Amino acid sequence: MTGVTLELQSVTRRFGPVTAVDKTDLAIEQGEFFALLGPSGSGKTTLLRIIAGLERPDEGRVLIGGREVTDLPPYARNVGMVFQNFLLFPHKTVAENIVFPLRMQRASRAHRDEQLKWALSLLRLDGLGGRYPNELSGGQQQRVALARGLIARPALLLLDEPLANLDRELRSEMEVEIRRYQKELGIPFIYVTHNQEEALTMSDRIAVMRNGRFEQIGAKTEIYTNPASAFVATFVGHANRISGGIADIQGDLARIEWGGGSVLAPRPGSAQRGSAISVFVKHEDMAIHGAGLNGKRPEGVNQLAGTLRDIIFKGQTANYIVALPTGDDLVVSGTPRAGVARPNDAVIVSWPIEAGACFPREDA
Amino acid sequence: MNGMSLRAASRRRPGLRFAALVAPGALFIVIGLMLPLLAIVVFSFWRTESYELYADWSLDNYRTLLGEAAYRTFFLRSLVTAILVTVICLVCGWPVAYFIARHGGRYRLLLVLLLAAPFFTGVILRIAALQGLLGPVGLINMGLTMVGLPPIEALMYTKLAAGLGLVYLFIPFMVTAIYLSLVNFNFELLEVAKINGARPWRAFIEITWPLNWIGTAIGMILVFIPCLANAVTPRFLGGPEATSLGMSLAGQFGETGTWALGSAMGVFLFAVSLLAIFCIAPTIRLKRSGFTGTSLT
Repeated sequence: MTGVTLELQSVTRRFGPVTAVDKTDLAIEQGEFFALLGPSGSGKTTLLRIIAGLERPDEGRVLIGGREVTDLPPYARNVGMVFQNFLLFPHKTVAENIVFPLRMQRASRAHRDEQLKWALSLLRLDGLGGRYPNELSGGQQQRVALARGLIARPALLLLDEPLANLDRELRSEMEVEIRRYQKELGIPFIYVTHNQEEALTMSDRIAVMRNGRFEQIGAKTEIYTNPASAFVATFVGHANRISGGIADIQGDLARIEWGGGSVLAPRPGSAQRGSAISVFVKHEDMAIHGAGLNGKRPEGVNQLAGTLRDIIFKGQTANYIVALPTGDDLVVSGTPRAGVARPNDAVIVSWPIEAGACFPREDA
Repeated sequence: MNGMSLRAASRRRPGLRFAALVAPGALFIVIGLMLPLLAIVVFSFWRTESYELYADWSLDNYRTLLGEAAYRTFFLRSLVTAILVTVICLVCGWPVAYFIARHGGRYRLLLVLLLAAPFFTGVILRIAALQGLLGPVGLINMGLTMVGLPPIEALMYTKLAAGLGLVYLFIPFMVTAIYLSLVNFNFELLEVAKINGARPWRAFIEITWPLNWIGTAIGMILVFIPCLANAVTPRFLGGPEATSLGMSLAGQFGETGTWALGSAMGVFLFAVSLLAIFCIAPTIRLKRSGFTGTSLT
């Protein structure tokens, strides 16, 4: 049975007139990889700093392993933390940096040496123990920071955009590695990022944060396929947006009238006829066909006619940019296949009705 | 014509342009600094008689300097004073510098400029002002007398008064040096230390102190060396018990006119100062100080 490692109860933090974290509740389970995803300024870093003890909440309680730590300083909390800019101690060697938490705990030298060996080999830093941080590459520095965060086997490891300063290739490599460490050690990781791909690749559960609140919290597949709000639908994954008004409601379906015609979408909970609405469809849920298909209209599928404007080849996939007669662009992501269509060809874009996610229009 | 060719030459050889830029300053240093120093070294091996220098080479001046008990006392007094003043400046200067760097906010620059405020007036004037504060008819003792208390004897023309004067004169150098180091210090490292289990004092000893040792060391040198040679402060504030080697040295060039012995004293002080720098220099590791850029490479 897994237990709750971290619990936040109605945590609030204000900076002057700004509420950075607003009555947030959260429970993190033992062994969980949890991502806090949100744009900058959404309060995710503040929340992390509250968990670490670097910031004190104005209201609410923080519990780690069932113990209330709300008023405890960081050094009494037994959490590890990894920062975006690594923040290694420049005057200490790699080995000295890594064993620092154990020295602060007054661990015996034998224990320290044993743990250092373990951490160096886990993070593939063997032979670098005597180096200084400025003699390491960015990826190595980040691994040292991870080793320092993990060596004392904290109850919880907090990661604040740890990969943001690394180049792309290294980043995807580290994504896989960090997830491997987490699974090996079973320590819950809380991973703050504004990068949805990172969050989706690494985590088990994601909380999407906006304006100090959780917009949605759930398993990553749930967040991805079943967004709870327009914000989540735009922020996670890549989606096309079609905005219009509900013209008709037929059972579970709503017919949405917009400039370019009408499309069907699952009916959002409280929507009434005439309410302004946006339909979000993920790029990869749309398909592109040659114009020859025109006329046939299979059940349960929306179709829109347009002109292929450009193909952006990405390797495994390609993005087809389709200009609609209204002047809007749709992006269709698919396997790049030669000969589907060429720019300026007339094409049909289709998607299953249930792939559309419908939300009341925020700007309306 | 000549100018053109020079410009062309400097374009071909950047070293030449560099030399042209450096030359005036270098010349000034050689003439204004090195030559007098050299002269003093030479004089220290000569002999003075009736206010005249004679080029009779010998080690007599050094023999007198090291042999006579009075000079040894003066030197030890100067040395102990300089060490104590340095330590006091260090202990009092660190918190001030730390406060300005950490909590000064937008007033940081203003606060640092305030440190320079004493320099708006001359040294003599400032010492005279201190005299007006500490002396027998000074503010402190006058005030005490007026409310019927005995004056504090220890403040009236004593070594303590001289020491206080030195601390007052030199603490701005210490604070400025430490401050300049601290503004380059990444205070986030302290958060990291705390998350990793370090209590505030431990974090200071492990992180803040070693990473700001360079500024601290420079501050110590900036206080120690002028204190060691100081003559003015003990003369005005110190009374008969506070005669320093610097005072005695000034006397050799003034009243007694024994330039050669004075030069030997100067050389001796110079050597001690160099020794102090050589002692402290190896402890500074520029590359690891965080001074040349933080962990980001």
